[in-house]
Amino acid sequence: MRMRNKWGLSLLAVAIASPAMASDLNVNGFLSVGASMLDDNKASIAGADNNGGFKQDTVLGLQIQKQVNDSTSATGQLVSRGGDDYTTEAAWAFVSYAANDELDLRMGRLRIPFFYYSDFLEVGYAFNWVRPPEEVYRIPFSSIDGFDLTQRFSSGNMDGSVQFYYGRYQGPFKTATATYTADYRNFTGLALNTNMGNFGARLSYHQAELIMDTSEAGTTLNSAIAAAGAIAAVPAGVDVGTATGNPALAGLTGVGDASAAEDFSFTGQTSRFYEAAVFYDNGDMSVIAEWTMLDHENSVFLDDQAWMLSAAKRMGDMTVHATYSTQKDEFDSGNEGEIQKQLPLLTEESSITLGLRYDYDSATALKLEIQNNDETTAAGVDGDSATLYSVAVDVVF
Amino acid sequence: MKAIKYSCSILLIGLASSLTSAEVSVIVSSNNPNASIDQNTVSKIFLGKTKSFPDGTQAVPVDQDDGAAPRNAFNSTVLGKSSSQLKSYWSRLIFTGKGTPPKQSGNDAAVKQLVANNPNIIGYIDSSAVDSSVKVVHKF
Repeated sequence: MRMRNKWGLSLLAVAIASPAMASDLNVNGFLSVGASMLDDNKASIAGADNNGGFKQDTVLGLQIQKQVNDSTSATGQLVSRGGDDYTTEAAWAFVSYAANDELDLRMGRLRIPFFYYSDFLEVGYAFNWVRPPEEVYRIPFSSIDGFDLTQRFSSGNMDGSVQFYYGRYQGPFKTATATYTADYRNFTGLALNTNMGNFGARLSYHQAELIMDTSEAGTTLNSAIAAAGAIAAVPAGVDVGTATGNPALAGLTGVGDASAAEDFSFTGQTSRFYEAAVFYDNGDMSVIAEWTMLDHENSVFLDDQAWMLSAAKRMGDMTVHATYSTQKDEFDSGNEGEIQKQLPLLTEESSITLGLRYDYDSATALKLEIQNNDETTAAGVDGDSATLYSVAVDVVF
Repeated sequence: MKAIKYSCSILLIGLASSLTSAEVSVIVSSNNPNASIDQNTVSKIFLGKTKSFPDGTQAVPVDQDDGAAPRNAFNSTVLGKSSSQLKSYWSRLIFTGKGTPPKQSGNDAAVKQLVANNPNIIGYIDSSAVDSSVKVVHKF
C-alpha cells in the first residue's frame, strides 16, 4: 500500500515538474460515472441491488506516458474503481522498448490480453455498453507483472499483431461472497489479432498454475473443499452425514475415492483459458462474436464455456446495440465430477442487453441500458431472473 | 429584413460550398524524397499503423485543430471515420500505451510551416494554401 502511494506521488511530481517538457509527456484520463437499479434482488447482476447503485460503474483512470528517447517510453495508468471503494491500483505500469518499427518489448505491470476488450476494459468511452458482458468477462483480475513481446505485421490492407507474455499474478481473487489471496505462477499466453478492411479476428490462449489460500473457515471455497474431502473419504453410496456424524453433511453421498480429494485444492494445478473472436465494423454497423472456455485441472472451480454476440447500429451521434451473452459450467468426468455434482458450485446463466449510446461530443458519451439476466442455475440451485437498468456518462481527456 | 435573409442565404451557400467542394492536399516538405503516397498509406500513417514513409524514413503525422474544415474532410474521406469513432479508436490505443494520436497543430498556415521545416512531418491543408515550400503527395 505504501509502495503504491509513493508511486502515485512520484507520478504526480513528474506531472507537475515538467510542463516545460510537455511536448513529449502525454497525460490522458478517463472517467465513467454510472448509476444502476435492479428491479428485484432475486438474481445478481454487476453487484447491483434494488436500492440503487452509484459506485459500481464509476471508474477514474489517469495515465501518464513519457517518451524517454527514440525507442523507449514509460507508461503508468492509475485506476480507481467505485466497486473497490475507490482503492487506487496501477492497471498498467511499464517501460516499453521499440526494438524496431514492428517489434515492441514491454516490462512491468500489464493488462492480460484475455479478451477482445481487455486492453481497454475500463475505458467506458471505447465501447458501447455500460460494462462488458459479465457472463463472458468473468475473470476477477486483469493485470499481471511480467513482460510481453508484440510483433506487428502488415501487408496490403491486412494488418495485425502477435503478442506473447509471461509473468505472475499475486493478489486478490474476488468472488461474489469472499475475497481470497491468489498466486498464479508461470502465467503465460499468446494473443493473435488481425484486421482486414472492416473485418477482424482474434485468437488467444492463456495458462497459469494457481496456488490460493482458502484456509479462512466459513468461506464458500473453504466449505466446498471440506465437503469434497468428506465425500471422497466415505465409502461409495453411504450417506456422508451418517458416516461422519456431521448432520450438516447429511444428504451427500460418499464416493470412496480418497485420491479424488486431492483435486479439490489449489496446489499449483494448471488453469487454461481459450478465446476466439470475430468482428465486423463498417462505420454504421458493427458486430462482434466472442467465445471463451476455462479449463481447470483443479476440481474446486468448474470448467465452463461462455460466449456473446453483440450488434450495434450507428445513426449519427446515436448508437443502438443489442447483446446476448451466456455462460455454462461443466462437471469433470469421474469421481471428481460426482463430488462436484453434490456441491453448490454449478452456475448457468444468460443475459440480454439493450442499450443506447449518445455521443454528446467527441469526448463524452451518454449511455442508457437495460439488461435482463436469467440465472438457470446459481450455485447449484435453480436460479431466478432480474432486470438491471443502468445509466452512465463516459469521458476521455 | 429581406437583406438579412439574403445575406444569410449567401452565407449558407458559401458554407455549403466550402464544405463540399474545397479540395484538400496531403503535404510533406519539399525536401522529402517521396513523390506520391496513396490513400491507404496516408491512412496508415495517420492511424499510427505505420511509422514510416514508403521510402523507409520516419513519418510524423500532424492534425489540424478539432473542427477545422480540412480535418473533417480528411477524417471522413481518407480515414473513413467520424470524429467520435476516431476518439474511440485512439482511446483504445492511448490507454494501452500502444499509440498516441497526431498532434493538433493549428490551421492551414501553421501546419504548412511545420511541414515545410521538417522532412519527417506529414500534414494536410486546403489546396488553396499550398505553395512551393511544401510538396503535395495526395489530393482529394
